Amino acid sequence: MQTYDAHSLPENDNVNSYAFSIALNGRWFVSKGAMIAYYGNVSFDAVTTWASRDAHIAGKFSSPIYIQDWVVAEGHGKVIVGDRGFDLQSFDLEDGNLTIRASNLVGFETGLELKQSIVPGFVTLIGTGKFLASSNGPVIFAEPPFRADPDALLGWADCPAPSHHYDAQWMSASLGSMLQGMFGRESGEERQFDFTGSGTILIQSTEVLREDPALMRIMEQQTALLSPQQAGLLGQRLVARSQQA
Amino acid sequence: MPFEVINKKVVRAQVSPATPVLARRGAMLGYEGAVSFRPVSGHGQGVGGIVGQALSGESNRTMATEGTGSVLYGFSGLYVTVIELNNDTLSCEADRLLAHDANLQSSVEFIGQGGIKAAVRGAMTGQGLFTTRLSGTGSVAVLSHGGTFDIPVRGDVVSVDPQAYVGHVGQVQVDLSAKVGWRDAVGRGSGEAFQLKFTGQGTVYVQASEQKF
Repeated sequence: MQTYDAHSLPENDNVNSYAFSIALNGRWFVSKGAMIAYYGNVSFDAVTTWASRDAHIAGKFSSPIYIQDWVVAEGHGKVIVGDRGFDLQSFDLEDGNLTIRASNLVGFETGLELKQSIVPGFVTLIGTGKFLASSNGPVIFAEPPFRADPDALLGWADCPAPSHHYDAQWMSASLGSMLQGMFGRESGEERQFDFTGSGTILIQSTEVLREDPALMRIMEQQTALLSPQQAGLLGQRLVARSQQA
Repeated sequence: MPFEVINKKVVRAQVSPATPVLARRGAMLGYEGAVSFRPVSGHGQGVGGIVGQALSGESNRTMATEGTGSVLYGFSGLYVTVIELNNDTLSCEADRLLAHDANLQSSVEFIGQGGIKAAVRGAMTGQGLFTTRLSGTGSVAVLSHGGTFDIPVRGDVVSVDPQAYVGHVGQVQVDLSAKVGWRDAVGRGSGEAFQLKFTGQGTVYVQASEQKF
């Protein structure tokens, strides 16, 4: 059993598979609740408060929906982070872009800029710097052409945003699932994210996901496309669904 | 084609027209190539299989993976153990099956002697009265909570907690032993009143946890 102190803690490296030690010298964006322990003189302030303190930093976080779930760690020291006992991995981005499931992003350097992805529940990091991602089991890398289960998808880098692929054979094999498909309901296996072009796809070992509070806000935002009648109908269906569950 | 272990929770299967794969529904993580999925109801062959399905309530669980390509399988963050069958027989509870070679013969059956004992055992493990039996030559991926270890059965009696039992391979007889006394009846038992006893020649796979999923 190894005991760590401020000096023996790893510098920007994993302590074990589930914890990562950030050598903080400046600022990092950290997901709320991810910090486990720290050495040194570090302050944790909500990103929202940075809007008035340093607009440059706040501007790096370009997602009003996710901003409440993030803090800025500032100062000097070692910050240990973890997430649900999931595997943590650090990745370096060099003048690149990477899209990742928002609930699996644990932290990133302020050299990177965060934007919301077109795909609901995902965010895109642009620029140069280090970021931390959590995954249930180690991350698996794949290259396109590749189709991924939407729930097992962790993210993708340098390739175009995915499109939906519907498995025709699955749909025709089961009349029930075809009918459900027409109503927008799915059993899970007939739909995949289809990746083409060149780049890297990141997959995690499971479909168990953390509830993403921002996802509801994104969905709500998108209902602005509906007419008032359609919105009312949708509301009724959603109420019916919540009563079934 | 044997399953390739990617990490402790994921396996990769090579699928070809000659070697389709049967898998638990919802277990596909991603794939390369021209692969398609088809829901399959009915695990075993013949009337016995269908009746077994109906009785055990295990229909509508599996899907066939067909075509040419490679597919990643994993489920719910559970650990995966790959067992290679070489003209052998594996018994395990159906909801522990992640994926297996479609060329393996499968059937649903009681393990043990049947009758009231087997029913009691099913009730104890809480995972149904039936086990799925796979025989032939091919790969099987089974799910467990926290990984499995195997205990060889070589003539001696091996006792396993029913909740920690994952499956067994080979010529193995299973028997449930119940030593239920008045302490168990009033809830002061040791919690170990029921045990699965294995005898014969083969291997028992056990998970290091009593948690079901």
